[in-house]
Amino acid sequence: MKIICVVKFVPDVDNFTYDHEKHIIIRENSRMMVNPDDACAIGFALKMKQRSPDTSIEVVTMAPESVLPLVEDILRVGVDTATIISDRLYAGSDTYATSRVLSRYLSGATYDTILTGSHAIDGDTSHVPSQIACLLDLNHMSYISRIDESSFSSSLARFEVESEQAVSSYEIQMPAILGLTRASGYRLPYVRYKNLNMDVSDRVTVIHNDVLCFDESEVGLTGSRTKVVGTHVKTYKNRSHHVVTTDQEGIDTVYRFLKDKQFI
Amino acid sequence: MKRILIYIEQHHEQEGLDLLETARQIYQEEPYETYALVLKSQYDALKGIFDVIVDLSEECLQEYEMRAISEVCYQLHKSYHFDAILFPATSWGRLIAPRVAMMLDTGLVADVTDIAHGEHGLELIRPAYSGRIMASIQITGDGPMMLSVRPGVFSYTQHKKAATQIRIPQDLRYRTGGLKETGRKEKHSEYDIRESDVLISGGGGVERYFHELRPLAELLGGHVSASRAIVDKGVADRNVQVGQSGKTVNPRLYIALGINGALQHIEGLRNVDYIISVNTNKYAPICSLSDIVVEGDAYTFIHRLIDTIHKEKGYEGH
Repeated sequence: MKIICVVKFVPDVDNFTYDHEKHIIIRENSRMMVNPDDACAIGFALKMKQRSPDTSIEVVTMAPESVLPLVEDILRVGVDTATIISDRLYAGSDTYATSRVLSRYLSGATYDTILTGSHAIDGDTSHVPSQIACLLDLNHMSYISRIDESSFSSSLARFEVESEQAVSSYEIQMPAILGLTRASGYRLPYVRYKNLNMDVSDRVTVIHNDVLCFDESEVGLTGSRTKVVGTHVKTYKNRSHHVVTTDQEGIDTVYRFLKDKQFI
Repeated sequence: MKRILIYIEQHHEQEGLDLLETARQIYQEEPYETYALVLKSQYDALKGIFDVIVDLSEECLQEYEMRAISEVCYQLHKSYHFDAILFPATSWGRLIAPRVAMMLDTGLVADVTDIAHGEHGLELIRPAYSGRIMASIQITGDGPMMLSVRPGVFSYTQHKKAATQIRIPQDLRYRTGGLKETGRKEKHSEYDIRESDVLISGGGGVERYFHELRPLAELLGGHVSASRAIVDKGVADRNVQVGQSGKTVNPRLYIALGINGALQHIEGLRNVDYIISVNTNKYAPICSLSDIVVEGDAYTFIHRLIDTIHKEKGYEGH
């Protein structure tokens, strides 16, 4: 079975640099990590490989080449191959343009299923899995909180999706795109000490636009259908607050406040 | 006249109605017609409000048949030429809208929380980076413009009386299959935090005694909610999560116990009249938004406040 995991490298949201002039993320300078939901997809694929060793896993990402060390670490935990789709022309692509780039690569790849995450912690649009599914003409489901490992095969997957109202079970015919969430509990393992310096360079392929052949007008900022025209850090109106402690005087202050406002 | 299609998700009719307010803010004084797309024929709440209801009940589509639903949206657009297509940013809405946008080769803005008419024209505003920044986004290209809109931030209050036409589209072509629901366990939620007037909310600081919040909530006629910190740890149910990745709430009173108040949490507090925060760190971000900051341990606060309320009530009873 061949599994492709489509993943995104995201800046650690606690620590990122944003170019407020051009309205793009300065990815080169920020500390990057595998998007947490996408890491679950790789974690699940590795679990499947443990169960049936003839499973092969390819990780596909569209990213600047600076993610190479992170991609190499993914190969050091058991993923077979990785493809980095990277070109200066693709910088600034919105989800529409990104989905088109990824889909062009995937349409020429072989796979039984595509696994990915449900949400990315940076943009959090959740558009790309649905849009790739549309372009590859596949069924798709996101928010997967549990996958039945024993029935997972190249023809079928059974899984659960948790929504606000219910937990639903589904059956999907492969090939399909499955988006996991962190609730699934799968993790990307740490690289073992003995593998820290394992040479994996022959298992990484970097693909540029000379392979995918997009016209400049189809990708990047110009090929996008949306553009960010401004950003601001949201500010909230501070209230002139009263600081008390949990002693009786403080509690009485809260009590009187609640009584004044008729909550009691 | 502009035409706007609004996708109505089953059992979420109110979220669909609220998108009329989003449409009003987009088009302001310009005349427009509103179309509601419904999968099942339970749409009494929409009659008299939308100009047109497109009823798909004869097709018997399930809400998870996203490929089929997006193919239907595509065909409806080809016949009606909508200027805007709006989805509620519910789980299904957020999965269907991107497919429709791709089929129509058009731009889609996800999880919109505000509309602005700036120097560049219409700007759709949404949070990014877990609510740390707000981005103003424009749709380029030939349209139609597409949005998924965060539930709970726009509220439709007018009661426009329109003579609603019901249209049942004929000759729709779409593909189903390959995906089926094999079981469903309903969650029994006793309440919806979006409807609560009073919320007693717990964060990382009350992880060990989250259950202690409930008696205080009951005493104040409210409900219990939580921040992501405690939901991710499995202590509180995702149903009651406030914030960017949870729900947007509008209570009159919000008591934040052991909640730090990261932007992603504060993003979920829309129109809260009063905030009281209890925190061991009086400089936690939520404290500057509060009317009263109680510096100290939430456990002590809960018990002392409950005792005080009982005692005072006792006096009043005599």
